[in-house]
Amino acid sequence: MHAAYKKQEDPHRGDAITALNSKPSKPFKFKKHLVHLFLLPALLLYVVFQIYPILAAFYNSFFDFRGYVRMHFVGLNNFVKLFTESPYNERFFNAFGHNILYFCVVFFSELCLAFFLALLINSVTKGREFFKFVYFAPKLLSVIVVGFLFNLILNPIHGALNAFLRAVGLDFLTASWLGNPDTALFAIIFVSSWYGLGFSMLVYLAGLQSIPQEIYEAAKLDGASGWRMLFNITIPMVMQSIMVTVILTFIGAFETFELIYAMEGSSGSPYYATDVLTTYFYRLAFGSIGSNSSIGLGSALAVILFLLVACASALLLVFFRKKEVDY
Amino acid sequence: MKKKILSLFIPFLVICFIMSGCSGNDSGSESGAGGSDGGNNEKSKEPVTLTMYSWRTEDQAGYEKIIKAFEADHPDIHVEFKPFKSTEYNTILSNTLVSGQGADIIQLRPYNKDIPDNGYLVPLDDIKGLSNISDQFKDAARGSDGKVYGVPLSLNNAVIFYNTKIFEENGISVPKTWEDFVNVCETLKSKGITPIAQSGNAAYLLSLLHSVIAPSAYGGNEFVEKITSGETDFTDEGFKASVQRMKDLAQYFPKDFVGISDDDAQGLLYAGKAAMYINGDYRLSEFHEKAPDLPVDVIPALETQNGKAPVTAWVDSSYAVVKKSEHVEEAKVFMEFLASKQFGQMFSDTFARVSAVSGVSPEQPIIKKISQASDKATTPYLMLVHFTGGSPSTKTTFENALQGMYTGQVTIDQVIQETQQSAEKWFKPMQ
Repeated sequence: MHAAYKKQEDPHRGDAITALNSKPSKPFKFKKHLVHLFLLPALLLYVVFQIYPILAAFYNSFFDFRGYVRMHFVGLNNFVKLFTESPYNERFFNAFGHNILYFCVVFFSELCLAFFLALLINSVTKGREFFKFVYFAPKLLSVIVVGFLFNLILNPIHGALNAFLRAVGLDFLTASWLGNPDTALFAIIFVSSWYGLGFSMLVYLAGLQSIPQEIYEAAKLDGASGWRMLFNITIPMVMQSIMVTVILTFIGAFETFELIYAMEGSSGSPYYATDVLTTYFYRLAFGSIGSNSSIGLGSALAVILFLLVACASALLLVFFRKKEVDY
Repeated sequence: MKKKILSLFIPFLVICFIMSGCSGNDSGSESGAGGSDGGNNEKSKEPVTLTMYSWRTEDQAGYEKIIKAFEADHPDIHVEFKPFKSTEYNTILSNTLVSGQGADIIQLRPYNKDIPDNGYLVPLDDIKGLSNISDQFKDAARGSDGKVYGVPLSLNNAVIFYNTKIFEENGISVPKTWEDFVNVCETLKSKGITPIAQSGNAAYLLSLLHSVIAPSAYGGNEFVEKITSGETDFTDEGFKASVQRMKDLAQYFPKDFVGISDDDAQGLLYAGKAAMYINGDYRLSEFHEKAPDLPVDVIPALETQNGKAPVTAWVDSSYAVVKKSEHVEEAKVFMEFLASKQFGQMFSDTFARVSAVSGVSPEQPIIKKISQASDKATTPYLMLVHFTGGSPSTKTTFENALQGMYTGQVTIDQVIQETQQSAEKWFKPMQ
């Protein structure tokens, strides 16, 4: 503003003064903004690999495709089709239901079981690191490897689980875990919970360890019991960790794909019993063996999935922000 | 202020610069490649290099041998066989077709009209030697305009493999009809042997199984003609009977077969725990690799009502010429070679597969047996050849419904209803 004012008064002199004034500060300013340059590679990668595909999916969802070729603009037709036309709507709601179930079960196991484990580990003084490692170890494996291993374990012919059940005389409990529509999804959810338990536990543990001991001591002096301390101190204090895991679990439950793909393929075998929105998306967008792809419909589903996860995550955030306690 | 705005622009300028740099590099390599190709054109003495894309990485050595034979007769054409992983092939192919760079010749998935209909390929109706290939097989590479866009390469046959030792030891003779087949299954079951090593976790295996079982129920090609012309549909009694047979067979499969993979099923066959295995003839090379001592023979087909035993056959792939290629004429010369009996024989002998070129006599005894049976009568793999349209395709809908039938989630009538509804959406004769 100062420079502009001077300019009005006497343009030539003003320029000279600006030039004179800014000269010493120029290298400093350039250096200051040089920092922004270092963000470029990351920004570029982010735009090309994150923003662009999302925008492209939005764009494609309004078009009709023949193979990989974009044909006509069809407005919201793809969305209407997904929700109203058979078999698309049946598959959608079937898959959506499975995602909800997936979230509920994993939510329960990650929230309650992982929290309980974290409390236990937090209270032991000896071997804490060992238990931490044991529960976290599955997370070190790749999801695909886990899927493959459990495919072997759950195999009805030579799987370890059925062999174990037979060995202890529980023959009636043996099952074709992944081939039976009543057990297949639960088997996968179980594996997923086992896989993710350690991570949630670590998040809770970090939360628990950051609670100052003085608060507990003060509560003890006030005569608070164990349960009271748990509900009135511990849980409110780790609300942030709970928020993180619940949101991550929610996103995870709606974006789960690798494990199901590794264990049951993309067809939601047996007969859509393990179909979730992402496997349904995969089949729509890329086709399957002997099946054509419909990129328009696939993109529409991707957009729905994106909005669903984004909105629900935002709502969860708002919900938890209200419950948060600062200390 | 001005400086600030300017400095904010710097990143964008740099982005533009980097991007232009990238595209500059691209065009550089393009013109480089084009330049060398151009050079080839000018000096016609120098051999032209044709690049052929394939999804058969395992066939590289064999193709190199065959290509040498071609190059001996055509010193001015050099062919480079470039295979990609099968699961990545479709993506690579669509990239190369859209950009028009990379391949001159491509391996084409069968019975899919998308690529020819989008104008990426050169029609090949005038290729010498294409008459060596039956019209039924040329359908695999036909566009909607009726022109042939690919030279069919190999045929697949779905057959019944059986363990000859188990059959001999139990005094079982090779079944000819459906009734014989069921009796054989009963006998095996009563002796504690799993009659058929079938897996059901990948649904496509079920429609493949159907292709072998069904012709004996619906009566082979007469039904195929009727259903493809719209004279009848999937509610036809013959088709219903074929699904019923699929259900009847379930008792002869391994326990919990929907939960086991094809590898598990093969394992049962190798271990002698199961007597038969129904799949494509291409599994033979796997048997030789994984269980070279397996005493295996083949039942090419079961008889239909008219006494014929049509072998279920379909084209596995074709080779096509890319329209944007700079060497279309040379590629067509290679296509002539692919349609020749010489190539058919070499292909069959090298890869132990059935060639699409008629009159080729394979060396491998089992392949020879299948080939001889299919010379007498063939019937298409109905779902793959005629019902892969729609999204999801009728074939996928059907095989998933079969899986549901085996897990007790849907009835036979529901399988038929789902299949019919799917076909009505896109299959013109049924609309």
